[in-house]
Amino acid sequence: MKIRAAIAAAVLAVTLVVPANAFGYHTWFEFTRQSNIASTLTMAWEYGPGFYGTQSWRAGSGVSTDACWIGHGWLPTGYYDLWGHWDNYGGKIAGRVFYLQNKPCWNGTWRTELFVHSEETAGQGQYCPTAGDDPYCWEGPSDYYSNGCIKVSRAGNPSDLRLVHDGWHAKSGDYRHGSFAINNWLFVRDG
Amino acid sequence: MSHILRSKRRNGLALALVAALTSAMALTIWGAFRAHSAVPRTGALKVQSGLQEPPGPFVRGNGLFAEKGGRSQLAAAVSGAMIGPLSSVAVRSPDGRLVAYNTWQEHRAVDSEQSFSNQSIADGDVLGTPSLRVRDESGKDSLLERGAYSAAWREDGAIAFVKGADPDFRAGRSYDGQVVVRPGIHGRDAAWTKQPAHYVVYAWAGQRLLFYRVGLGEKLELLVADAPGSVRSLAEGSAIALSPDATRVAVLSQDATNVRVLAVATGSELAWLDVTTATPPLAWLSYSGSWVGDHIVTPASAGLAVLHLGSGSLELEQVLSLDHAQFPVGVQQPRFVDDDGNEIAASADIPPSNGKAAVSFLLVCDRVVRSCERGESAPAKEWLRFVDRTADASEGGH
Repeated sequence: MKIRAAIAAAVLAVTLVVPANAFGYHTWFEFTRQSNIASTLTMAWEYGPGFYGTQSWRAGSGVSTDACWIGHGWLPTGYYDLWGHWDNYGGKIAGRVFYLQNKPCWNGTWRTELFVHSEETAGQGQYCPTAGDDPYCWEGPSDYYSNGCIKVSRAGNPSDLRLVHDGWHAKSGDYRHGSFAINNWLFVRDG
Repeated sequence: MSHILRSKRRNGLALALVAALTSAMALTIWGAFRAHSAVPRTGALKVQSGLQEPPGPFVRGNGLFAEKGGRSQLAAAVSGAMIGPLSSVAVRSPDGRLVAYNTWQEHRAVDSEQSFSNQSIADGDVLGTPSLRVRDESGKDSLLERGAYSAAWREDGAIAFVKGADPDFRAGRSYDGQVVVRPGIHGRDAAWTKQPAHYVVYAWAGQRLLFYRVGLGEKLELLVADAPGSVRSLAEGSAIALSPDATRVAVLSQDATNVRVLAVATGSELAWLDVTTATPPLAWLSYSGSWVGDHIVTPASAGLAVLHLGSGSLELEQVLSLDHAQFPVGVQQPRFVDDDGNEIAASADIPPSNGKAAVSFLLVCDRVVRSCERGESAPAKEWLRFVDRTADASEGGH
Protein backbone atom coordinates (compact mmCIF):
# COMPACT_ATOMS: atom_id res chain seq x y z
CA MET A 1 0.00 0.00 0.00
CA LYS A 2 2.81 2.34 0.89
CA ILE A 3 4.52 1.53 -2.41
CA ARG A 4 1.32 2.35 -4.37
CA ALA A 5 0.99 5.64 -2.52
CA ALA A 6 4.61 6.45 -3.22
CA ILE A 7 4.18 5.72 -6.94
CA ALA A 8 1.02 7.84 -7.08
CA ALA A 9 2.83 10.68 -5.35
CA ALA A 10 5.75 10.39 -7.74
CA VAL A 11 3.42 10.44 -10.77
CA LEU A 12 1.63 13.46 -9.38
CA ALA A 13 4.90 15.22 -8.74
CA VAL A 14 6.08 14.54 -12.29
CA THR A 15 2.74 15.77 -13.68
CA LEU A 16 3.05 18.99 -11.75
CA VAL A 17 6.57 19.78 -12.82
CA VAL A 18 6.25 18.80 -16.49
CA PRO A 19 5.58 21.85 -18.70
CA ALA A 20 2.04 22.14 -20.05
CA ASN A 21 3.03 21.21 -23.60
CA ALA A 22 5.71 18.62 -22.91
CA PHE A 23 3.77 16.04 -24.90
CA GLY A 24 2.71 18.31 -27.75
CA TYR A 25 4.14 20.26 -30.64
CA HIS A 26 5.07 23.89 -30.81
CA THR A 27 1.73 25.24 -32.02
CA TRP A 28 0.59 28.74 -33.01
CA PHE A 29 -2.01 30.53 -35.11
CA GLU A 30 -1.81 32.88 -38.08
CA PHE A 31 -4.59 35.21 -39.17
CA THR A 32 -4.34 36.37 -42.78
CA ARG A 33 -6.40 39.53 -43.32
CA GLN A 34 -8.24 39.34 -46.62
CA SER A 35 -11.66 40.80 -45.87
CA ASN A 36 -13.73 41.42 -42.77
CA ILE A 37 -15.85 38.31 -43.23
CA ALA A 38 -13.63 36.06 -45.32
CA SER A 39 -10.13 35.93 -43.95
CA THR A 40 -8.16 32.84 -42.96
CA LEU A 41 -7.20 31.53 -39.55
CA THR A 42 -4.49 28.89 -39.74
CA MET A 43 -3.22 26.65 -36.96
CA ALA A 44 0.37 25.58 -37.49
CA TRP A 45 2.44 23.07 -35.56
CA GLU A 46 5.99 21.87 -35.88
CA TYR A 47 5.98 18.09 -35.61
CA GLY A 48 9.69 17.74 -36.29
CA PRO A 49 12.61 20.09 -36.93
CA GLY A 50 11.60 21.90 -40.11
CA PHE A 51 8.40 19.87 -40.56
CA TYR A 52 5.12 21.71 -40.18
CA GLY A 53 1.46 20.79 -40.26
CA THR A 54 -1.35 23.29 -40.85
CA GLN A 55 -5.11 23.46 -40.72
CA SER A 56 -7.12 26.50 -41.84
CA TRP A 57 -10.60 27.90 -41.35
CA ARG A 58 -12.55 30.85 -42.64
CA ALA A 59 -12.57 33.67 -40.08
CA GLY A 60 -13.57 37.30 -39.78
CA SER A 61 -12.52 40.42 -37.92
CA GLY A 62 -13.98 43.92 -37.59
CA VAL A 63 -16.44 45.71 -39.82
CA SER A 64 -13.94 47.93 -41.59
CA THR A 65 -10.30 47.50 -42.58
CA ASP A 66 -9.07 50.43 -40.48
CA ALA A 67 -7.14 48.79 -37.63
CA CYS A 68 -7.17 52.09 -35.71
CA TRP A 69 -10.95 52.24 -35.41
CA ILE A 70 -11.85 51.07 -31.86
CA GLY A 71 -14.81 48.71 -31.84
CA HIS A 72 -15.07 48.80 -35.61
CA GLY A 73 -11.84 47.99 -37.46
CA TRP A 74 -10.06 44.68 -37.85
CA LEU A 75 -7.06 43.59 -35.77
CA PRO A 76 -3.73 45.33 -36.23
CA THR A 77 -0.98 43.28 -37.83
CA GLY A 78 1.87 41.73 -35.84
CA TYR A 79 2.58 39.13 -33.19
CA TYR A 80 0.28 38.63 -30.22
CA ASP A 81 0.82 36.85 -26.91
CA LEU A 82 -2.05 34.78 -25.55
CA TRP A 83 -3.27 35.94 -22.14
CA GLY A 84 -5.72 33.17 -21.36
CA HIS A 85 -8.14 30.56 -22.54
CA TRP A 86 -11.54 29.60 -21.17
CA ASP A 87 -14.08 26.95 -22.12
CA ASN A 88 -17.12 28.46 -20.44
CA TYR A 89 -16.50 32.18 -20.50
CA GLY A 90 -19.52 34.15 -19.35
CA GLY A 91 -20.34 37.60 -20.63
CA LYS A 92 -21.06 39.36 -23.89
CA ILE A 93 -18.45 37.08 -25.36
CA ALA A 94 -19.10 33.55 -24.14
CA GLY A 95 -18.14 29.93 -24.39
CA ARG A 96 -14.76 28.87 -25.79
CA VAL A 97 -12.54 31.95 -26.01
CA PHE A 98 -8.86 32.81 -26.44
CA TYR A 99 -7.82 36.16 -24.95
CA LEU A 100 -5.20 38.24 -26.78
CA GLN A 101 -2.78 40.91 -25.60
CA ASN A 102 -3.49 44.60 -26.23
CA LYS A 103 -1.96 46.06 -29.37
CA PRO A 104 -1.39 49.61 -30.68
CA CYS A 105 -2.28 50.23 -34.31
CA TRP A 106 -0.21 52.31 -36.72
CA ASN A 107 -1.25 55.70 -35.29
CA GLY A 108 -0.80 54.59 -31.69
CA THR A 109 -4.45 53.86 -30.81
CA TRP A 110 -4.65 50.98 -28.36
CA ARG A 111 -6.87 48.08 -29.32
CA THR A 112 -7.93 46.16 -26.24
CA GLU A 113 -10.18 43.37 -24.93
CA LEU A 114 -9.64 41.26 -28.05
CA PHE A 115 -10.43 37.55 -28.38
CA VAL A 116 -10.65 34.66 -30.79
CA HIS A 117 -14.19 33.35 -30.34
CA SER A 118 -17.51 32.58 -32.00
CA GLU A 119 -21.18 33.01 -31.06
CA GLU A 120 -22.21 30.52 -28.41
CA THR A 121 -23.42 30.48 -24.82
CA ALA A 122 -21.20 30.02 -21.79
CA GLY A 123 -22.33 26.39 -21.83
CA GLN A 124 -21.10 26.10 -25.45
CA GLY A 125 -24.64 25.91 -26.78
CA GLN A 126 -26.69 27.95 -29.20
CA TYR A 127 -29.36 30.40 -28.05
CA CYS A 128 -31.45 31.71 -30.92
CA PRO A 129 -34.62 33.24 -29.48
CA THR A 130 -35.38 35.73 -32.25
CA ALA A 131 -35.52 35.80 -36.02
CA GLY A 132 -32.85 38.50 -36.00
CA ASP A 133 -29.18 38.48 -35.06
CA ASP A 134 -28.79 36.89 -31.63
CA PRO A 135 -25.42 37.30 -29.88
CA TYR A 136 -25.10 33.66 -28.80
CA CYS A 137 -26.36 32.17 -32.07
CA TRP A 138 -24.46 31.59 -35.29
CA GLU A 139 -26.93 32.57 -37.99
CA GLY A 140 -24.64 32.79 -41.00
CA PRO A 141 -21.78 34.62 -42.73
CA SER A 142 -22.73 38.03 -41.34
CA ASP A 143 -21.71 36.69 -37.94
CA TYR A 144 -18.09 36.79 -39.06
CA TYR A 145 -18.29 40.58 -38.55
CA SER A 146 -16.98 41.69 -35.17
CA ASN A 147 -15.93 44.79 -33.26
CA GLY A 148 -12.32 43.72 -33.80
CA CYS A 149 -12.05 40.15 -32.47
CA ILE A 150 -11.28 37.18 -34.69
CA LYS A 151 -14.42 35.08 -35.16
CA VAL A 152 -14.82 31.56 -36.49
CA SER A 153 -18.00 29.70 -37.34
CA ARG A 154 -20.08 27.86 -34.78
CA ALA A 155 -22.15 26.16 -37.51
CA GLY A 156 -21.96 22.47 -38.38
CA ASN A 157 -20.77 19.49 -36.42
CA PRO A 158 -17.98 19.65 -35.60
CA SER A 159 -17.98 23.44 -35.82
CA ASP A 160 -14.89 25.39 -36.80
CA LEU A 161 -14.76 26.68 -33.24
CA ARG A 162 -14.59 23.16 -31.93
CA LEU A 163 -11.88 22.25 -34.44
CA VAL A 164 -9.86 25.30 -33.42
CA HIS A 165 -10.34 24.59 -29.75
CA ASP A 166 -9.77 20.85 -29.82
CA GLY A 167 -6.99 21.21 -32.38
CA TRP A 168 -5.15 23.65 -30.13
CA HIS A 169 -5.26 21.31 -27.15
CA ALA A 170 -4.40 18.20 -29.17
CA LYS A 171 -1.51 19.66 -31.13
CA SER A 172 0.02 21.79 -28.41
CA GLY A 173 -0.62 19.34 -25.61
CA ASP A 174 -1.49 22.41 -23.56
CA TYR A 175 -4.71 21.85 -21.64
CA ARG A 176 -4.50 24.86 -19.37
CA HIS A 177 -7.50 27.06 -18.79
CA GLY A 178 -7.85 30.46 -17.18
CA SER A 179 -5.31 33.27 -17.23
CA PHE A 180 -1.84 32.31 -18.43
CA ALA A 181 0.53 33.55 -21.08
CA ILE A 182 1.91 31.99 -24.24
CA ASN A 183 4.39 34.05 -26.19
CA ASN A 184 3.75 34.76 -29.87
CA TRP A 185 0.59 32.66 -29.98
CA LEU A 186 -0.88 34.56 -32.94
CA PHE A 187 0.57 36.32 -35.95
CA VAL A 188 -1.66 38.68 -37.93
CA ARG A 189 -0.63 39.69 -41.43
CA ASP A 190 -2.13 40.96 -44.67
CA GLY A 191 -3.11 38.43 -47.29
CA MET B 1 -13.87 110.99 -90.17
CA SER B 2 -11.32 108.56 -88.94
CA HIS B 3 -11.69 110.11 -85.48
CA ILE B 4 -15.44 109.48 -85.59
CA LEU B 5 -14.83 105.94 -86.79
CA ARG B 6 -12.25 105.37 -84.07
CA SER B 7 -14.64 106.82 -81.53
CA LYS B 8 -17.46 104.59 -82.74
CA ARG B 9 -15.11 101.60 -82.74
CA ARG B 10 -14.07 102.43 -79.17
CA ASN B 11 -17.69 102.74 -78.13
CA GLY B 12 -18.47 99.44 -79.82
CA LEU B 13 -15.56 97.73 -78.12
CA ALA B 14 -16.58 99.16 -74.78
CA LEU B 15 -20.14 97.97 -75.27
CA ALA B 16 -18.93 94.51 -76.27
CA LEU B 17 -16.65 94.40 -73.25
CA VAL B 18 -19.44 95.44 -70.90
CA ALA B 19 -21.76 92.88 -72.51
CA ALA B 20 -19.13 90.15 -72.18
CA LEU B 21 -18.42 91.01 -68.56
CA THR B 22 -22.12 91.16 -67.75
CA SER B 23 -22.65 87.78 -69.40
CA ALA B 24 -19.70 86.29 -67.55
CA MET B 25 -20.95 87.63 -64.24
CA ALA B 26 -24.46 86.38 -64.94
CA LEU B 27 -23.10 82.97 -65.88
CA THR B 28 -20.98 82.85 -62.72
CA ILE B 29 -23.89 83.85 -60.50
CA TRP B 30 -26.24 81.47 -62.29
CA GLY B 31 -23.69 78.67 -62.07
CA ALA B 32 -23.13 79.22 -58.40
CA PHE B 33 -26.86 79.53 -57.78
CA ARG B 34 -27.54 76.36 -59.78
CA ALA B 35 -24.79 74.46 -57.95
CA HIS B 36 -26.01 75.37 -54.49
CA SER B 37 -29.71 75.11 -55.21
CA ALA B 38 -29.21 71.70 -56.81
CA VAL B 39 -30.28 68.58 -55.01
CA PRO B 40 -27.25 66.73 -53.64
CA ARG B 41 -26.94 63.48 -55.51
CA THR B 42 -25.20 60.21 -54.81
CA GLY B 43 -21.91 59.84 -56.64
CA ALA B 44 -18.16 59.83 -56.46
CA LEU B 45 -16.25 62.58 -54.73
CA LYS B 46 -13.52 64.23 -56.79
CA VAL B 47 -10.58 65.02 -54.54
CA GLN B 48 -7.81 67.43 -55.41
CA SER B 49 -5.02 68.96 -53.38
CA GLY B 50 -4.85 72.62 -52.54
CA LEU B 51 -6.72 73.16 -49.30
CA GLN B 52 -5.28 76.49 -48.16
CA GLU B 53 -7.61 77.61 -45.40
CA PRO B 54 -9.23 74.84 -43.38
CA PRO B 55 -12.66 75.86 -42.08
CA GLY B 56 -11.59 75.75 -38.46
CA PRO B 57 -8.66 75.33 -36.09
CA PHE B 58 -6.83 72.03 -36.04
CA VAL B 59 -4.09 70.26 -34.13
CA ARG B 60 -1.06 68.34 -35.30
CA GLY B 61 1.74 67.07 -33.08
CA ASN B 62 2.48 69.83 -30.59
CA GLY B 63 0.92 72.55 -32.72
CA LEU B 64 -2.45 74.28 -32.59
CA PHE B 65 -3.21 75.88 -35.93
CA ALA B 66 -5.68 78.67 -36.61
CA GLU B 67 -7.74 78.43 -39.79
CA LYS B 68 -5.89 81.45 -41.23
CA GLY B 69 -2.54 79.80 -40.75
CA GLY B 70 -1.13 80.88 -37.38
CA ARG B 71 0.57 78.24 -35.25
CA SER B 72 0.63 78.07 -31.47
CA GLN B 73 2.88 75.78 -29.49
CA LEU B 74 1.28 73.14 -27.27
CA ALA B 75 3.15 71.91 -24.20
CA ALA B 76 2.74 68.27 -25.28
CA ALA B 77 1.89 66.49 -28.51
CA VAL B 78 -1.75 65.59 -29.07
CA SER B 79 -2.65 61.90 -29.15
CA GLY B 80 -5.83 59.88 -29.30
CA ALA B 81 -4.10 56.70 -28.12
CA MET B 82 -6.88 55.94 -25.64
CA ILE B 83 -9.84 57.08 -27.72
CA GLY B 84 -9.20 56.60 -31.44
CA PRO B 85 -12.11 58.24 -33.26
CA LEU B 86 -14.59 57.61 -30.40
CA SER B 87 -14.06 61.08 -29.01
CA SER B 88 -12.36 64.29 -30.09
CA VAL B 89 -8.62 64.66 -29.66
CA ALA B 90 -8.99 68.41 -29.01
CA VAL B 91 -12.11 70.32 -27.95
CA ARG B 92 -12.73 74.03 -27.60
CA SER B 93 -14.62 75.45 -24.62
CA PRO B 94 -18.04 77.05 -25.20
CA ASP B 95 -16.61 80.56 -24.84
CA GLY B 96 -13.86 79.71 -27.31
CA ARG B 97 -11.05 80.72 -24.95
CA LEU B 98 -9.78 77.27 -23.99
CA VAL B 99 -8.77 74.14 -25.85
CA ALA B 100 -8.62 70.84 -23.96
CA TYR B 101 -6.47 68.22 -25.65
CA ASN B 102 -5.48 64.58 -25.15
CA THR B 103 -1.84 63.61 -24.81
CA TRP B 104 0.11 60.39 -24.35
CA GLN B 105 3.37 60.20 -22.42
CA GLU B 106 5.22 57.13 -23.63
CA HIS B 107 7.19 55.37 -20.90
CA ARG B 108 8.63 52.82 -23.23
CA ALA B 109 8.44 52.43 -26.97
CA VAL B 110 6.21 49.62 -28.19
CA ASP B 111 6.78 48.08 -31.60
CA SER B 112 3.26 47.35 -32.81
CA GLU B 113 4.50 44.53 -35.04
CA GLN B 114 6.06 42.64 -32.14
CA SER B 115 4.39 40.89 -29.23
CA PHE B 116 4.94 42.10 -25.69
CA SER B 117 7.02 39.01 -24.92
CA ASN B 118 9.31 39.71 -27.89
CA GLN B 119 10.00 43.13 -26.39
CA SER B 120 10.49 41.83 -22.85
CA ILE B 121 7.37 43.65 -21.72
CA ALA B 122 6.10 41.93 -18.60
CA ASP B 123 2.63 41.85 -17.14
CA GLY B 124 2.04 45.11 -15.28
CA ASP B 125 4.83 47.09 -16.94
CA VAL B 126 3.96 50.75 -17.43
CA LEU B 127 3.70 51.54 -21.14
CA GLY B 128 2.41 55.10 -21.04
CA THR B 129 0.23 57.66 -19.32
CA PRO B 130 -2.66 59.53 -20.94
CA SER B 131 -3.22 63.09 -19.75
CA LEU B 132 -5.51 65.99 -20.51
CA ARG B 133 -4.09 69.47 -20.90
CA VAL B 134 -5.76 72.85 -21.41
CA ARG B 135 -4.39 75.76 -23.37
CA ASP B 136 -5.89 79.22 -23.05
CA GLU B 137 -5.89 82.03 -25.58
CA SER B 138 -2.97 83.76 -23.85
CA GLY B 139 -0.83 80.69 -24.49
CA LYS B 140 -0.86 79.36 -20.95
CA ASP B 141 -0.82 75.58 -21.13
CA SER B 142 -1.59 73.59 -18.00
CA LEU B 143 -2.19 70.01 -16.98
CA LEU B 144 -5.86 69.35 -16.38
CA GLU B 145 -5.35 65.81 -15.08
CA ARG B 146 -2.72 63.12 -15.34
CA GLY B 147 -4.14 59.67 -16.05
CA ALA B 148 -7.16 61.11 -17.87
CA TYR B 149 -8.58 61.25 -21.37
CA SER B 150 -11.66 62.12 -23.52
CA ALA B 151 -12.92 65.59 -22.60
CA ALA B 152 -16.28 67.27 -23.22
CA TRP B 153 -17.17 70.81 -22.20
CA ARG B 154 -20.60 71.63 -20.83
CA GLU B 155 -22.25 74.95 -21.77
CA ASP B 156 -21.43 76.43 -18.35
CA GLY B 157 -17.74 75.60 -18.69
CA ALA B 158 -17.73 72.38 -16.65
CA ILE B 159 -15.62 69.66 -18.19
CA ALA B 160 -16.24 65.91 -18.16
CA PHE B 161 -13.52 63.32 -18.67
CA VAL B 162 -12.39 59.83 -17.74
CA LYS B 163 -10.00 59.60 -14.80
CA GLY B 164 -8.04 56.36 -14.59
CA ALA B 165 -8.05 54.37 -11.37
CA ASP B 166 -4.32 53.97 -12.01
CA PRO B 167 -2.95 56.86 -14.06
CA ASP B 168 -0.59 54.55 -15.94
CA PHE B 169 -1.52 52.28 -18.81
CA ARG B 170 0.03 48.89 -18.06
CA ALA B 171 0.62 45.77 -20.10
CA GLY B 172 -1.85 43.03 -19.30
CA ARG B 173 -4.25 45.29 -17.43
CA SER B 174 -7.53 46.92 -18.37
CA TYR B 175 -7.46 50.69 -18.10
CA ASP B 176 -10.45 51.22 -15.86
CA GLY B 177 -11.54 54.58 -14.55
CA GLN B 178 -14.45 56.75 -13.53
CA VAL B 179 -16.25 59.44 -15.46
CA VAL B 180 -15.83 62.68 -13.53
CA VAL B 181 -17.02 66.25 -13.99
CA ARG B 182 -15.00 69.27 -12.90
CA PRO B 183 -16.78 72.63 -12.57
CA GLY B 184 -14.04 74.32 -14.60
CA ILE B 185 -10.37 73.84 -15.23
CA HIS B 186 -9.99 74.27 -11.48
CA GLY B 187 -12.24 72.74 -8.90
CA ARG B 188 -13.14 69.48 -7.33
CA ASP B 189 -14.06 66.47 -9.44
CA ALA B 190 -17.42 64.79 -8.93
CA ALA B 191 -17.70 61.17 -10.03
CA TRP B 192 -20.68 60.57 -12.33
CA THR B 193 -20.17 56.80 -12.46
CA LYS B 194 -20.28 54.41 -9.54
CA GLN B 195 -18.32 51.45 -10.92
CA PRO B 196 -14.89 51.75 -12.48
CA ALA B 197 -14.82 50.46 -16.05
CA HIS B 198 -13.30 51.22 -19.42
CA TYR B 199 -15.20 54.42 -20.30
CA VAL B 200 -14.84 57.04 -23.02
CA VAL B 201 -16.66 60.39 -22.72
CA TYR B 202 -18.57 61.34 -25.87
CA ALA B 203 -20.51 64.61 -25.40
CA TRP B 204 -22.88 66.61 -23.29
CA ALA B 205 -26.53 66.65 -24.25
CA GLY B 206 -27.60 69.71 -22.30
CA GLN B 207 -27.18 68.73 -18.65
CA ARG B 208 -26.93 65.04 -19.50
CA LEU B 209 -23.65 63.36 -20.27
CA LEU B 210 -23.21 60.72 -22.98
CA PHE B 211 -20.32 58.30 -22.69
CA TYR B 212 -19.27 54.82 -23.73
CA ARG B 213 -18.48 51.70 -21.80
CA VAL B 214 -16.04 49.60 -23.83
CA GLY B 215 -16.67 45.95 -23.07
CA LEU B 216 -15.19 42.59 -23.94
CA GLY B 217 -14.29 42.40 -27.59
CA GLU B 218 -14.50 46.22 -27.73
CA LYS B 219 -18.27 46.03 -27.74
CA LEU B 220 -19.54 49.57 -27.27
CA GLU B 221 -22.44 50.55 -25.06
CA LEU B 222 -23.68 54.14 -25.10
CA LEU B 223 -24.64 55.31 -21.62
CA VAL B 224 -26.31 58.49 -20.44
CA ALA B 225 -25.92 60.04 -17.01
CA ASP B 226 -28.81 62.29 -16.00
CA ALA B 227 -26.92 63.34 -12.88
CA PRO B 228 -23.98 62.09 -10.82
CA GLY B 229 -24.52 58.39 -10.14
CA SER B 230 -27.69 58.22 -12.23
CA VAL B 231 -26.52 56.24 -15.24
CA ARG B 232 -28.64 54.30 -17.71
CA SER B 233 -27.95 52.45 -20.92
CA LEU B 234 -29.10 54.27 -24.02
CA ALA B 235 -28.06 51.78 -26.70
CA GLU B 236 -25.83 48.85 -27.49
CA GLY B 237 -23.58 50.41 -30.07
CA SER B 238 -22.16 53.84 -30.76
CA ALA B 239 -23.21 57.44 -31.34
CA ILE B 240 -23.28 58.96 -34.80
CA ALA B 241 -24.32 62.46 -33.79
CA LEU B 242 -26.24 64.58 -31.35
CA SER B 243 -29.03 66.83 -32.66
CA PRO B 244 -28.39 70.60 -32.64
CA ASP B 245 -30.91 71.05 -29.81
CA ALA B 246 -29.18 68.21 -27.90
CA THR B 247 -32.46 66.36 -27.30
CA ARG B 248 -31.88 63.50 -29.75
CA VAL B 249 -29.00 61.26 -30.64
CA ALA B 250 -28.49 59.09 -33.72
CA VAL B 251 -27.07 55.75 -32.62
CA LEU B 252 -25.55 52.92 -34.60
CA SER B 253 -26.11 49.23 -33.85
CA GLN B 254 -23.26 46.90 -32.88
CA ASP B 255 -23.22 45.42 -36.37
CA ALA B 256 -22.99 48.97 -37.82
CA THR B 257 -25.96 48.54 -40.16
CA ASN B 258 -28.91 50.06 -38.29
CA VAL B 259 -29.36 53.70 -37.31
CA ARG B 260 -31.88 54.75 -34.71
CA VAL B 261 -32.73 58.25 -33.58
CA LEU B 262 -33.44 58.23 -29.86
CA ALA B 263 -34.75 60.82 -27.44
CA VAL B 264 -31.91 61.35 -24.97
CA ALA B 265 -34.29 62.02 -22.08
CA THR B 266 -36.33 58.84 -22.42
CA GLY B 267 -34.43 56.54 -24.76
CA SER B 268 -37.54 56.20 -26.92
CA GLU B 269 -37.02 55.52 -30.62
CA LEU B 270 -38.09 58.29 -32.97
CA ALA B 271 -36.86 56.95 -36.31
CA TRP B 272 -35.00 53.98 -37.72
CA LEU B 273 -33.09 52.98 -40.85
CA ASP B 274 -31.39 49.79 -42.05
CA VAL B 275 -28.69 50.99 -44.43
CA THR B 276 -28.20 47.56 -45.98
CA THR B 277 -31.66 47.82 -47.56
CA ALA B 278 -31.51 51.54 -48.34
CA THR B 279 -30.94 52.99 -51.82
CA PRO B 280 -28.12 52.64 -52.55
CA PRO B 281 -27.42 49.89 -50.01
CA LEU B 282 -24.41 50.29 -47.73
CA ALA B 283 -22.44 47.58 -45.94
CA TRP B 284 -21.89 49.70 -42.85
CA LEU B 285 -21.81 53.11 -41.24
CA SER B 286 -19.53 54.26 -38.48
CA TYR B 287 -19.69 56.52 -35.44
CA SER B 288 -18.63 60.12 -34.74
CA GLY B 289 -20.44 62.10 -37.41
CA SER B 290 -22.27 65.42 -37.32
CA TRP B 291 -25.84 66.77 -37.36
CA VAL B 292 -27.05 70.11 -38.73
CA GLY B 293 -30.72 70.95 -39.29
CA ASP B 294 -32.32 67.72 -40.50
CA HIS B 295 -29.12 66.27 -41.91
CA ILE B 296 -26.64 63.84 -40.43
CA VAL B 297 -23.29 62.97 -41.98
CA THR B 298 -21.25 59.94 -40.97
CA PRO B 299 -18.49 57.68 -42.28
CA ALA B 300 -19.78 54.82 -44.42
CA SER B 301 -18.42 51.79 -46.22
CA ALA B 302 -18.45 53.74 -49.49
CA GLY B 303 -17.03 56.93 -48.01
CA LEU B 304 -19.62 59.27 -46.52
CA ALA B 305 -23.35 58.95 -45.98
CA VAL B 306 -25.76 61.83 -45.49
CA LEU B 307 -29.04 60.94 -43.78
CA HIS B 308 -32.17 63.08 -43.75
CA LEU B 309 -34.51 63.04 -40.80
CA GLY B 310 -38.10 63.80 -41.74
CA SER B 311 -41.10 63.68 -39.47
CA GLY B 312 -40.59 60.29 -37.92
CA SER B 313 -38.65 58.89 -40.84
CA LEU B 314 -34.97 58.56 -41.49
CA GLU B 315 -33.72 58.16 -45.03
CA LEU B 316 -30.43 57.83 -46.82
CA GLU B 317 -30.26 61.05 -48.83
CA GLN B 318 -26.81 60.81 -50.36
CA VAL B 319 -23.81 58.55 -50.57
CA LEU B 320 -20.50 60.21 -51.40
CA SER B 321 -18.08 57.55 -52.50
CA LEU B 322 -14.33 57.80 -52.24
CA ASP B 323 -11.78 56.05 -54.43
CA HIS B 324 -10.77 53.00 -52.39
CA ALA B 325 -7.26 52.99 -53.85
CA GLN B 326 -6.78 56.60 -52.74
CA PHE B 327 -8.64 56.27 -49.42
CA PRO B 328 -8.37 52.61 -48.35
CA VAL B 329 -9.91 53.22 -44.94
CA GLY B 330 -12.18 56.15 -45.78
CA VAL B 331 -12.56 59.24 -43.60
CA GLN B 332 -13.15 59.89 -39.93
CA GLN B 333 -15.14 62.34 -37.83
CA PRO B 334 -16.87 64.24 -40.67
CA ARG B 335 -18.35 67.59 -39.61
CA PHE B 336 -20.77 69.93 -41.35
CA VAL B 337 -19.06 73.29 -41.49
CA ASP B 338 -21.87 75.47 -42.86
CA ASP B 339 -25.40 76.07 -41.65
CA ASP B 340 -26.92 74.57 -44.81
CA GLY B 341 -25.16 71.26 -44.32
CA ASN B 342 -23.51 71.36 -47.72
CA GLU B 343 -19.85 71.57 -46.72
CA ILE B 344 -18.20 68.74 -44.85
CA ALA B 345 -14.78 68.69 -43.18
CA ALA B 346 -13.11 65.44 -42.13
CA SER B 347 -9.78 63.80 -41.53
CA ALA B 348 -8.51 60.88 -43.58
CA ASP B 349 -5.82 58.36 -42.77
CA ILE B 350 -3.77 56.28 -45.17
CA PRO B 351 -2.45 53.12 -43.44
CA PRO B 352 1.18 52.09 -43.93
CA SER B 353 1.86 50.10 -47.06
CA ASN B 354 4.90 48.92 -49.00
CA GLY B 355 7.27 50.43 -46.48
CA LYS B 356 5.58 53.83 -46.53
CA ALA B 357 4.54 55.17 -43.13
CA ALA B 358 0.90 55.99 -42.41
CA VAL B 359 -0.20 59.57 -43.08
CA SER B 360 -3.20 61.77 -42.35
CA PHE B 361 -4.65 64.85 -43.99
CA LEU B 362 -7.65 67.12 -43.76
CA LEU B 363 -10.43 67.13 -46.32
CA VAL B 364 -13.09 69.73 -47.04
CA CYS B 365 -15.87 68.67 -49.38
CA ASP B 366 -18.82 70.31 -51.09
CA ARG B 367 -21.49 67.66 -51.23
CA VAL B 368 -23.54 69.49 -53.86
CA VAL B 369 -20.85 69.59 -56.51
CA ARG B 370 -19.18 66.47 -55.02
CA SER B 371 -15.67 67.82 -54.89
CA CYS B 372 -13.10 67.98 -52.11
CA GLU B 373 -9.89 69.79 -51.41
CA ARG B 374 -7.23 68.05 -49.38
CA GLY B 375 -4.55 69.59 -47.25
CA GLU B 376 -0.93 68.59 -46.80
CA SER B 377 -0.23 65.16 -45.39
CA ALA B 378 1.23 64.62 -41.94
CA PRO B 379 2.54 61.48 -40.21
CA ALA B 380 -0.47 59.61 -38.78
CA LYS B 381 1.18 59.53 -35.35
CA GLU B 382 0.92 63.33 -35.21
CA TRP B 383 -2.88 63.10 -34.97
CA LEU B 384 -3.83 65.76 -37.49
CA ARG B 385 -7.45 66.53 -36.48
CA PHE B 386 -9.88 69.44 -36.41
CA VAL B 387 -10.57 70.99 -33.03
CA ASP B 388 -14.15 70.23 -32.04
CA ARG B 389 -16.68 72.48 -30.42
CA THR B 390 -18.71 69.95 -28.50
CA ALA B 391 -20.85 72.42 -26.58
CA ASP B 392 -21.84 74.54 -29.56
CA ALA B 393 -25.48 73.68 -30.17
CA SER B 394 -25.67 75.52 -33.48
CA GLU B 395 -23.02 73.27 -34.92
CA GLY B 396 -24.76 70.07 -34.04
CA GLY B 397 -23.36 67.26 -32.07
CA HIS B 398 -19.98 65.84 -32.18
